[in-house]
Amino acid sequence: MITASRVTKTYGPTRAVDDLSFEVRPGVVTGFLGPNGSGKSTTMRMVMGLDRPDSGAVTIDGRHFGELRWPLREVGALLEAKALHPGRTAYDHLLSMAQTNAVPRARVDEVLELVGLESVARRRVGKYSLGMSQRLGIASALLGDPGVLLFDEPVNGLDPEGILWVRTLLQGLAGEGRTVFVSSHLMSEMALTATDLVVIGRGQLIAQTSVHDFIASNTEATVLVRSPGADVLADVLRAAGAGVDARDDGALLVTGLDGTRVGDLALYAGVALHELRPERASLEEVFMELTSDMVDFHGHAPAEVVS
Amino acid sequence: MTTATVPPVPLPAFDHGRAGLRNQVRSEWTKLRSVRSTWISLAIIVVAGIGLSVLVSSVEGGRWGQLGFADRAQFDPVRFSQTGEFLSQFVVGVLGALVITSEYGTGSIRTTLATTSRRTTVLAAKLLVIGAVVFVVSEVTAFASFFVGQEVLLAHGGRALPAGSTILDQVHSSTVPVVSITDPGALRAVFLCGVYLLLLTLLACALGFVLRHTAGAISAFVGILLVLPLIVQILPSSLTHSFEKYLPSNLGLAMIVVTSRKTDFAGVLLSPWAAVGLLTLYAAAVIALAAWLLVRRDA
Repeated sequence: MITASRVTKTYGPTRAVDDLSFEVRPGVVTGFLGPNGSGKSTTMRMVMGLDRPDSGAVTIDGRHFGELRWPLREVGALLEAKALHPGRTAYDHLLSMAQTNAVPRARVDEVLELVGLESVARRRVGKYSLGMSQRLGIASALLGDPGVLLFDEPVNGLDPEGILWVRTLLQGLAGEGRTVFVSSHLMSEMALTATDLVVIGRGQLIAQTSVHDFIASNTEATVLVRSPGADVLADVLRAAGAGVDARDDGALLVTGLDGTRVGDLALYAGVALHELRPERASLEEVFMELTSDMVDFHGHAPAEVVS
Repeated sequence: MTTATVPPVPLPAFDHGRAGLRNQVRSEWTKLRSVRSTWISLAIIVVAGIGLSVLVSSVEGGRWGQLGFADRAQFDPVRFSQTGEFLSQFVVGVLGALVITSEYGTGSIRTTLATTSRRTTVLAAKLLVIGAVVFVVSEVTAFASFFVGQEVLLAHGGRALPAGSTILDQVHSSTVPVVSITDPGALRAVFLCGVYLLLLTLLACALGFVLRHTAGAISAFVGILLVLPLIVQILPSSLTHSFEKYLPSNLGLAMIVVTSRKTDFAGVLLSPWAAVGLLTLYAAAVIALAAWLLVRRDA
């Protein structure tokens, strides 16, 4: 369990985290969503005792990081994959971490094998790709077999196979009853990986909810209908209380009625249907909508959204 | 690709004790030995120490016949054998600073600090490990340089002066004087050469913790050893005389020269052990500042 209560952190004039409160429960993967620069990394650094909040508190199972007696065995983190001495081997890097908390050497080999780096463990990490560094970072988070795990953007630089592997790994860790807190700016990835969500923008909490509820409560279900008798159907639907929006390509976007009802009404009106498709905004769209006024850095062209 | 399940917990119970200095020292030793720059730096200390001892002792030993009385009075076979120390003081400065600034440079300091809930343990462990390594290597080098240097002088026809000889006996000696480790001040001078390098290492490491930047820490360290003496020289001579003996570089000199032989240093330098005490105090002050900042600053 990770608990943030009314945490505020400023760097000079910048308020990175602003009166932020949330809870991350064990047993499920919790996604930590926000645009770049919204305070996700700052929050994670505060959990790990690296940055000190100006006010408020962040605790791990009720204790501040400074109160943990064997920190590596209680909380593991992947914060920055490339924050490594380039001249050291992966094995020595992990060994040096393990020794700080009396974690046996055998565990180093174990986590190297777990992340699939055993064959390159004796290579200097300066030669690692970003994907390999991410795997090493995940290995270091798991090294002390902790009950609480934090991952800051763990799928950055991973290939599709690696992304799938991380997703399965995180869900497996949560399934063992661990607290798993994963940040990402990729909503689509979180929709597949996480059960719970903590969404922030400009350091403030936007939502703490489940992925399912987040989408449901933030999107209006719409039904897309194509019909040769669109005009007639539109009148019937409007009469039944639906909102109908005729698109340029002739399709109707219906709100306020579900697909079943729209189909029944079409039969009743004697109109043929060529397409009847319930539409639901993706998490990505919901997120973009929610945070559009909270993004610090806008690109000039609309970003291509991969979903 | 491996499966996504975490193996069963093989870790011993940890419901007692805490991650402490002993654990951190092991970790710091692993970090120190696992990068190449450590071994390169230590090799430079050994090679430069013994190599320069051979070179300088050989040159000076060959000149004895041509030296006037004044030069003969300043002829210090101990000092010649420790010439490498001048270079090594900068090598240990870089080594001491890099131990911590390389972590700030790469960001791995956050990994280090996220494995311990007492940051001062990290500072203590780093000082202990780098200090112990530099001290052992420096002492071995200092004694090896001393004995090699005296051998070189012997090869130039040198001979030890009889016990109880004064500086006048040295001036009038027809052969190059050779020093035995049992001669007054010799053992102390050679031993303190390693102590001087140890204290400089600790000073540099603490500067690294304070400045958190490789270039900054090394600049500060070089500034203290090389630039500070120049500034003090510009002061009015009365001030120069009152300050110069307290400069770290001159404390090092006080530790290493055998003043009974070096007449021109008489009264200018502190006594060797006072110099050790004062330099220790300097290092302790910067270490205290480093600890104070380490606990308070965001990583």
